[in-house]
Parts: sequence; structure tokens; C-alpha cells
Amino acid sequence: MDNIILKVCTKVLFTPIILFGLYVQFHGDFGPGGGFQAGVIVAAAFILYAIVFSVEDCKLIMPPKLNFFLLALGAFLYGFVGIVGLILGDPYLSYDVLGSTKESGQHIGILLVEFGVGLTVCNVMISLFYSFANFNFRRKNND
Amino acid sequence: MIGEIIINAFLVTLMLTIAIFIINTRKVISTILLTGTYSLVAALMFVSLDAVDVAFTEASVGAGISTILFLAALSYLPKEEKKEKFNVKHIYAICTCTIVAGLLIWASYDLPLVGQLENPVHQNLAQDFIEGSRNHIGIPNVVTSILASYRGYDTFGETVVIYTAGIAVLVLLYDGVSKTSKNNKGKNK
Repeated sequence: MDNIILKVCTKVLFTPIILFGLYVQFHGDFGPGGGFQAGVIVAAAFILYAIVFSVEDCKLIMPPKLNFFLLALGAFLYGFVGIVGLILGDPYLSYDVLGSTKESGQHIGILLVEFGVGLTVCNVMISLFYSFANFNFRRKNND
Repeated sequence: MIGEIIINAFLVTLMLTIAIFIINTRKVISTILLTGTYSLVAALMFVSLDAVDVAFTEASVGAGISTILFLAALSYLPKEEKKEKFNVKHIYAICTCTIVAGLLIWASYDLPLVGQLENPVHQNLAQDFIEGSRNHIGIPNVVTSILASYRGYDTFGETVVIYTAGIAVLVLLYDGVSKTSKNNKGKNK
């Protein structure tokens, strides 16, 4: 796309969108929001960039390899937090032992778990967009 | 109270109008965009029910990202739906829809009124969750404490489902991409 207004607006908006995503992510304890919504918002920033510039440009700031790694890391982080609790002598995914007090343990656990959800959702959305945008239908049929 | 009724009536009418337009339109792109607006009105509906977290999810996922993904998938579809003449299939469809809708409306008479304290939903676990969220977990947003702590297994399941779905799409679609993009780069030069 060769529209200068769209390009400038995207460049200006890109950072605030990600900042808002992070706000939704880490403010989920106190207001509406959480991992799912934050992941989608951050992914929207990257997809906006990919639409206005090009998918190849977007791959420079979010390479597919990093994308796949973070996609798996999110789900792993969630499971790992549970296992850490298990090792420290608590039932799976109950976060009481992670901090010095029960409440701080819950805070740390929920924050990490939501961050894992956000990572997975964000990177799944980006990789979905990559695969839709780049998929060569005719070539696939010929193979 | 009257204000609430007016707002709900307005939103329901809007959703109904959008739904009729979605059925009538033949262009795929307007169907996708109308579905997005439908989700947005649904999000407003959730706000009027005081379910802010659900509304947030509906607005970001339903109206935002799924519209974009549909638009990305649109490039593999024909621009317009084929016109089909009225035939027996439609009669079956109309019968099924009417029966299911009738059953759902009939069942809705057994539902308790929204927002009443005596409702079964508020009797059993909800009280423990609300008190526990303040005393045990120390987080003001009850939705987050239920989602991440009390129902941590479910959320883990959801995350794994999203992860699996993403991997499945990548296995199906991404396979040829790395090769093609490299080939294309070579060709362009």
C-alpha cells in the first residue's frame, strides 16, 4: 500500500497500541483485561504494520522463528509455573508458595500465568496472519 | 430502569437489523464487515449486563482480530456468493431453525431473572469466590482471580487449545511458505 497518511499514522500508533496491550496485560488484576485481550491487542499492532507496509517488513520486526519460539514459550510458561509450585510442595497451579506470603504468591503466579496466555495468544494470531497472507494456494494445489 | 430497557431494545433492534443484512448481502466483504459490527454491538450488550471483561474480549477478538483474519482469508474466496434458487434444502433449513429457536425460547421461560440475588448462580460457589478473591488472593478483579487461580486448569486448557490450533494451522498452511518466499525473492531479483 502506498498511502503516506496510513504509513505515518501506523508509525505513530504502533507503540501506543503495544503500550496499551501491556497495560491491559498487567492491569488485568485491577480492572477489566488479561492475557487473552492483551495478546490480541499486541497482535493487532503487528498485523496493522503488516497490512500497511508489507508482510516482509513485518517479518523484520517479528521474525517467524522468534514468533514460533514465543508461541511455544507462552504455553510452556503456564505449565512451568504450575510445576514450580508442585516442586515447592503445593498442588498443581495453586500459587501460594511462589511468594513470601500467600497473597504475594498468588500475585506472582497470576501475573506469570497471564503473561504466558498473552504470549501464546499474541503469537498464534500473528502466525495465523503470516500463514494466511503468504499461503500460495495455486502452488499448493500443483504440488 | 426505563433507560436500561430503552438501551437494550435499541441494541437488540440493531443486532437484528445487522443479522438481516448479513443474510441478505451477497458480497463476502460486506458479510465480514457486518459480522464485525455485530460483535461490536454484542460487546455493548455485555457492557449493559455489567460483564466488562467479556465485553472487552468480544470487542477485541470478535470485532477486531477475527475480522482481520477473515479479511486475510478472503483473498482465497470468490468476491460474491452464488445465487441459489429456492429449493427443498431451504425448507429443511427453515424448519430446523424454527424448531431450535422455538425450543430455546421455550427453555428461556425457565431461566431466573437476570441480576436477582436469589438466583442459583449466586448461591453456591460465587460467594466463596468473591470473599476469597479479597481475603485469600488479594485481587480486586474477581474475574481474573477465578480465571487464573480458582480455575487455573481450565485456562491452561484454553491456552493449550489456542496453541494447538495455531500449530495445526501452521502445519497445514505454513509448510510451503518459507520455500515460496525464498523462491519469490530469487525471482524478483
